[in-house]
Amino acid sequence: MFLLLKYTLLYAVVLMLVALGGMFSERSGVINIALEGIMAIGGLAGILVLSIFGGTLSPSSLVVLSILASALAGMIYSLLLGFSAITLKADQTIGGTALNMLATAAAVVIVKAYNNAAGGGNGSASSKLSYSNNAFIFTAGPLTYNIFLIIGIVLLIVSYVFLYKTKYGLRLRSCGEHPQAADSVGINVYKWRYAGVMISGFLGGLGGFAYIVPSVSIWNFEVGVTGFGFLALAVMIFGQWKPFRIAAAAVFFAIFKSLANIADATALSNLHLSQNIYNMMPFIASMIILALTSKNSQAPKAEGIPYDKGAR
Amino acid sequence: MGNNDYIIEMLNITKEFPGIKANDNVTLQLKKGEIHALLGENGAGKSTLMSILFGLYQPTSGMIKKNGKEVKINNPNDANALNIGMVHQHFKLVECFSVLDNIILGIEPTKGLFLSKKGARDKVVALSDKYGLKVDPDAIISDITVGMQQRTEILKMLYRDNEILIFDEPTAVLTPQEIEELMKIMKNLAKEGKSILFITHKLNEIMETADRCTILRKGKYIGTVDIKDTTKEELSKMMVGRNVNFKVDKQPAKPTETVLKIENMTVPSKMHKNNAVKNVSFNVRRGEIVCIAGIDGNGQTEFVHALTGLEKMTEGKIFFDGADITNASIRERSKSGISHIPEDRHKHGLVLDYTLEQNMVLQRYWDTEFQKGGFIKQGAVRAFAERLIDQYDVRSGQGPITIARSMSGGNQQKAIIAREIDKNPDLLVAVQPTRGLDVGAIEYIHSQLVAQRDKGKAVLLVSLELDEVMNVSDRILVMYEGEIVGQLYPDKTTVEELGLYMAGAKKDVVPAEMNS
Amino acid sequence: MKKKKVDLSSGALSVLASLICIAVGLIVGLIILYCINAEQAIDGFTRIVKGGFYLMPKGLGSVLAQTAPLIMTGLSVAFAFKTGLFNIGAAGQYTLGALGALYFALVLHAPWWLCLIAAMLFGAVWGAIPGLFKAYFNVNEVITAIMFNWIGLYAVNEIIYKGTIGDMYDMKTTKTYTIRSVSAGSVIPDLGLNSVFNTKSTTIAIFIAIAIAIIVYIVINKTTFGYELKACGHNKDAAKYAGINDKKNIVLSMTIAGALSGIGAGLYYLSGVAEWNPQVSTALPAMGFNGIPVALLALSNPIGVIFAALFVSHITVGGGYLPTKYFQPEIADVIIAVIIYLCAFVMLFKGFVVNMIASKRKNAADANAEKKTNDGKGAA
Repeated sequence: MFLLLKYTLLYAVVLMLVALGGMFSERSGVINIALEGIMAIGGLAGILVLSIFGGTLSPSSLVVLSILASALAGMIYSLLLGFSAITLKADQTIGGTALNMLATAAAVVIVKAYNNAAGGGNGSASSKLSYSNNAFIFTAGPLTYNIFLIIGIVLLIVSYVFLYKTKYGLRLRSCGEHPQAADSVGINVYKWRYAGVMISGFLGGLGGFAYIVPSVSIWNFEVGVTGFGFLALAVMIFGQWKPFRIAAAAVFFAIFKSLANIADATALSNLHLSQNIYNMMPFIASMIILALTSKNSQAPKAEGIPYDKGAR
Repeated sequence: MGNNDYIIEMLNITKEFPGIKANDNVTLQLKKGEIHALLGENGAGKSTLMSILFGLYQPTSGMIKKNGKEVKINNPNDANALNIGMVHQHFKLVECFSVLDNIILGIEPTKGLFLSKKGARDKVVALSDKYGLKVDPDAIISDITVGMQQRTEILKMLYRDNEILIFDEPTAVLTPQEIEELMKIMKNLAKEGKSILFITHKLNEIMETADRCTILRKGKYIGTVDIKDTTKEELSKMMVGRNVNFKVDKQPAKPTETVLKIENMTVPSKMHKNNAVKNVSFNVRRGEIVCIAGIDGNGQTEFVHALTGLEKMTEGKIFFDGADITNASIRERSKSGISHIPEDRHKHGLVLDYTLEQNMVLQRYWDTEFQKGGFIKQGAVRAFAERLIDQYDVRSGQGPITIARSMSGGNQQKAIIAREIDKNPDLLVAVQPTRGLDVGAIEYIHSQLVAQRDKGKAVLLVSLELDEVMNVSDRILVMYEGEIVGQLYPDKTTVEELGLYMAGAKKDVVPAEMNS
Repeated sequence: MKKKKVDLSSGALSVLASLICIAVGLIVGLIILYCINAEQAIDGFTRIVKGGFYLMPKGLGSVLAQTAPLIMTGLSVAFAFKTGLFNIGAAGQYTLGALGALYFALVLHAPWWLCLIAAMLFGAVWGAIPGLFKAYFNVNEVITAIMFNWIGLYAVNEIIYKGTIGDMYDMKTTKTYTIRSVSAGSVIPDLGLNSVFNTKSTTIAIFIAIAIAIIVYIVINKTTFGYELKACGHNKDAAKYAGINDKKNIVLSMTIAGALSGIGAGLYYLSGVAEWNPQVSTALPAMGFNGIPVALLALSNPIGVIFAALFVSHITVGGGYLPTKYFQPEIADVIIAVIIYLCAFVMLFKGFVVNMIASKRKNAADANAEKKTNDGKGAA
């Protein structure tokens, strides 16, 4: 039971962070299918920092540095999506798909090259990196938590306040709903869409790191982030593009994902449901919800449509 | 008159788009506190000129002055800084935001990092009281009427302390009561010192509200007149460049048997919760042109969609040639002899990325004339397209293989008309078939409609243009708020009377059987 | 005369756009090689560019073996594009196709052509689902396809690993049994190609794929069905106005797209190129996603898909020849990903140029028409 709770919290935070990221991008009008790739790049950046500075920096500065690195890497990577989708008005889904493929391939190339260099060019072709995650984890009561839980809760509240209580949130939302209206009152739609995409890169990169680091101490980059980015996309839809609903959806999805993880090791194995079944469930659940709610979907009206100032 | 009497001057404005001159040396001078109408037909360049003033386009040449000083307006922000505001034809409102959020968007009042809406709310309430702009600041845009949405747009300008207010065809979407109220509001605003530019092509509205009027025709400046010194006839002459009188050359109709019979048709609206078409019944006979007249948005579109099968009706029946086609599919209706020239040729009428010949068979590609065993007979399609192109004089760059998108609007419309008439239908439904076309094309299309009638076919014309209604039809049914409110005959009525019906000022109890 | 010239320039532009994408992708690859190891970069680059020709005849044989399934997933994506749908679900449909092929081969020992049909049907079902969701619930096909990619992957892994519907999983290799050893008749015949290329998995799959590409070309361009599909893709409202049932067409289009992906998996596994590994397969098969660059490079032209697929497998195989002492074979994947990224907007550039030509033409035609109208009036 503790194990279930532990994994649920871990996964819920990741899904929530990344889904919030997707929310910011889509609320500004850009479909972000590249979350999976952004997570992989963010995770890679954070872990490279851990691996490179592991022995030289103090644990606390290492934590701060690696987290910042992951978020920044995600943000920079998301600029590629912004450039193609906003500046060049290209198809957002195709651009996003390309970035997902690029992220996995690039991560593997980088890790292998890094390992090869570390091994003195011995031809090591391992796509795995190992690291220590002790500094990220602390214990309170019977449970161990990781630092991302706190970061996640803070960012959830910040996201909500930003979106609904500041003028920036109002402007960002207007760009995703009716960019012509935003433009007519002097709001720079391109700028706000870039902002949305970059926030999503920030949260996605952070989420990628939060997914990899706390649970294991070695990661094989060949698997990217095992579809978590796509699951976050489902969480975002399930949460109807609203912060607290996303948080709730993330918990719901995380329960299934945790069940998959512990299915074989606990009393649950008596049910003879393997992890594959649990893994499938959140996806099936989101399809059912999608089918039921499609009539009154809260999706931003202008998402996916490139904004062209000249066309009216 | 000194220059400083003018709050805004647009001098010798020319705007070229690739291939067209939308504005050609146009001058417009707006006095402080006046209502200045900008009159012109569709495509005369009114909206372009206003977009230049609002900073959406930059003029190719010419100069804009405010209070006698030259200004550059590069974007809506600049316009706003010069206190110029605009109510766009298609409202620029975020549907899921509240009225207040829409008003403050772009100039949000904040306290520290956060929004602080209280002061703004008070200001909005004060403004709506002062100018009689009734609207609830906390209502969500998608829940309120079009009239209220327009008032939100006006409040948006007033909230920004705009002095120069541009209204782009503001009455097109309103009910008569709402129009009346808007006129009152505009006069009120002018009285309070606001200067108003009012784009329209409705003469009555100009006569009622405007102080002066500038007329454009085909992008060119025709003149500016004082309303008190002019008449509707004079304005109309300046607008169209000749006396409005496209008398269509036709004999009196000789209607025979009924071909279309509509009983109690009711169609729900997609825009609002009411029905768009309410309990409509009438007949159309062979050998007559029946015209459904009315102001845009009174249920004509939904009516035609229900008749042709594009939308479902909730009540009533349709009989065609005696058969009940109420539940027939679009294809079945088309096969049974109904042709449809759609309102929006780009949305429904053509596949713009298809070639002309592919579009010519859009309603008939499945016919054994054009396919065998599922394979398209390319030769037959080509020959057919070439015949239609020749017969109906459809002009294009590359003949049958021209991509439809690259053709001019008039020729696109001719292609659709050729396709629909060549089907030899018993009933031709033509919805605004001349919209946006030049005079030559209009005359051609009108003569085609009459030719169909004279061949003993029934024609159901839906039109917003009074001249077209009066000149082409044999019988007029006026549609107002989804109901048929009157049956008129062009030779026994006047434009004025027709206008009264269209504006809902006059209403007959029309018998269900309207045969003669 | 005039007409021919324009067609040519438009076609030439398309090819040019694709070539630009490829060139930039390769340059990025070269830069990466330089960053990793400057000395060996040129050698590495040559190996990638030479692709299958680097190791004749074996290399060419494996290029052909890889191309066959890639043509199919490319066709799958291209076919859906024609109806205005983005089939990101090719990977999931391919996964289901693999299950169909393996089940019929390993459990039922069916002849190869029957296995191929099974693969097709399994893929078709998985393609139909996003179509149904789009048509009847108005859910974006991209979202549905992504969800069903994962559902499909987990389901197939579960079925194969647990042996729910029959014994397919070999504990020793942690993969499915090799078809050749279990049911030789289920392997697609090679008609001597294997001995020509000195390989084990170069079968007539490539010819089947090319034949299907030609059939797809005919269906899209010469039939009323293709006419309807394209009409729906270009303008849904006009298609509806023409009495075309757009919902039916969306479902059909996705079903056929799924069938094509399914056949792709059949061609791959029934040729014995590799075995399915339900344990490590936590990632979706790349073959499915690689259909996207193939379709984009080919501008959704089924014949173009053949060449685009050849190119993509050419450099993938070339990447495999990189000396692992210095480089990583995934550099080829990076190049492909860069190419899709570029395709997303280079094609827009091409569309822009074509529109320019079109609008010039239109103005000329308008001017002409106007002149003629005036002439006509003068005469009257």
